[in-house]
Amino acid sequence: MSEPVLEFADASFAFGDVTILDDASVALEDGTFVALVGPNGSGKTTALELFAGLRSLDTGTVTRPATTGRTVAYLPQSPRFRPGFTVREVVAFYGSLVETEVDADAILSRVGLGGATDRRVDELSGGMTRLLGLAQALIGDPPVVVLDEPTSGLDPDIADHIFEAAASMAADGRLVLTTSHDLEAVSRYADRVLLIANGEFVLDGSPAALVEQAGAERLRDVFSATVAGSGRDAVDIDARTEGDSA
Amino acid sequence: MIRPRLVAAVAGREVRTLLRNRALLAVAAAFAAVVIGLGGASMGSPGGYVSLTYDLLLPVELLVPVLAFAIAFQSIRGDDERGTLSILRTYSVSRLEYVLGVFVGRALPAFVLVVAVLGAAGVVAGLGAPATSSFLATHSAGDTPLIYGRFVLFAGWYVLATVAFVLAASALARTDREALAAGVGVVVIVAFVADLALVALLTTGFVGDLIGVLVGLAPASAFRGLVLELAIRPAIAADPGVATGHPLVSALGLAGWTVAALATAAVAVWRPVER
Repeated sequence: MSEPVLEFADASFAFGDVTILDDASVALEDGTFVALVGPNGSGKTTALELFAGLRSLDTGTVTRPATTGRTVAYLPQSPRFRPGFTVREVVAFYGSLVETEVDADAILSRVGLGGATDRRVDELSGGMTRLLGLAQALIGDPPVVVLDEPTSGLDPDIADHIFEAAASMAADGRLVLTTSHDLEAVSRYADRVLLIANGEFVLDGSPAALVEQAGAERLRDVFSATVAGSGRDAVDIDARTEGDSA
Repeated sequence: MIRPRLVAAVAGREVRTLLRNRALLAVAAAFAAVVIGLGGASMGSPGGYVSLTYDLLLPVELLVPVLAFAIAFQSIRGDDERGTLSILRTYSVSRLEYVLGVFVGRALPAFVLVVAVLGAAGVVAGLGAPATSSFLATHSAGDTPLIYGRFVLFAGWYVLATVAFVLAASALARTDREALAAGVGVVVIVAFVADLALVALLTTGFVGDLIGVLVGLAPASAFRGLVLELAIRPAIAADPGVATGHPLVSALGLAGWTVAALATAAVAVWRPVER
């Protein structure tokens, strides 16, 4: 097994009374596509920001790759690039921030934007903007890529394309860590699933192993059974909504 | 250590952003129209460049902070709001490099605009002037463009300081609404409140001879003090006898405010995380 490239050891973080991580530990290896899932408000985005080095832990340690240059790429949920610039100019700008030469056209072709290099970013669809974000994540060849909900709000075909692109980045030897609510896609593409709830990583394993261990049919069932009653005290998800038949 | 390559990369993006923003170009055109229009109103005036400097001093003092607000208030806040600040942070750009890049990319075009527009106003005002200006019979050094040139450069310096102020407000703001409020607040403070505070101090009677020093501590009055002391006073035959500002304190004040504002922006833009 390869060495961990990203690791939490006894990590804790809280926003006031809201605990995001409570003495949590996990180690993630390169060459894997890891999906971080969890109920709304469980702290997935904050955990990603802690992994990516955008926030500091309250206590505990986080270990990131000890390479020079860009070590962790990060793509926030629903990014919007500065308007007025073309797709190629955006990649060229970020490319100018790293030491190595960047072939903007090659990177854009890699994610499927080879035909949109001269299009202005304010004219891109939501899916194309996410793909530009993925292209940006490849700049400087970072060993770790962190993606926050890269497919939220996208049609299934574009979502699949983004998952395939992310899985391909992992296949190149990177650690790709993403959050997602699309458990069906996670089942298909992720090598490993982490489920965060109540400040802990309560499930950790491959989608197939988690389903098998739980004796469930789908990852969706494993998710529901695990998070039931955790972090959803104020939400009655069984409540009848308007329009339901009696 | 500051890496000039990264500062230049960020600055280049800011310059292109300004040049591609039609609303900002309209603001720049309006600024040019007002200032050159005032220059045109002085066309052929016997008062020459001294008179023109007097005519433009107050409008520039008020319009430059407004121009700085338009140019810079959305800069850092905009990157944060779009999520691109988080992306930038993964490129090992330091806080100071980023803020300096934004400052250079926003303030330098503003400097060029102010200097060019005031220069154009000077040229327009000079059209039709008599070969030997008689002025107001008060000028000893002659009405050379040098006097006006100093005013233009001080105005350029003033816009650098006000852009730095607005950048600090943009970095401190956590929402668009905060950025707007903070930016407007900076304009009001720089253009009005600081002067009012000085007037209030004067009325207490405790200031005395220190007024020349205190004037240099507020950005707008420091700019005004530099213009009055270093641009206009040398051209006036009869020394008014009353100091309008201590030049050294005014220069240090304007520079100090610029550095302090940029340092504030660099500290506020994001919290450092141990790597």
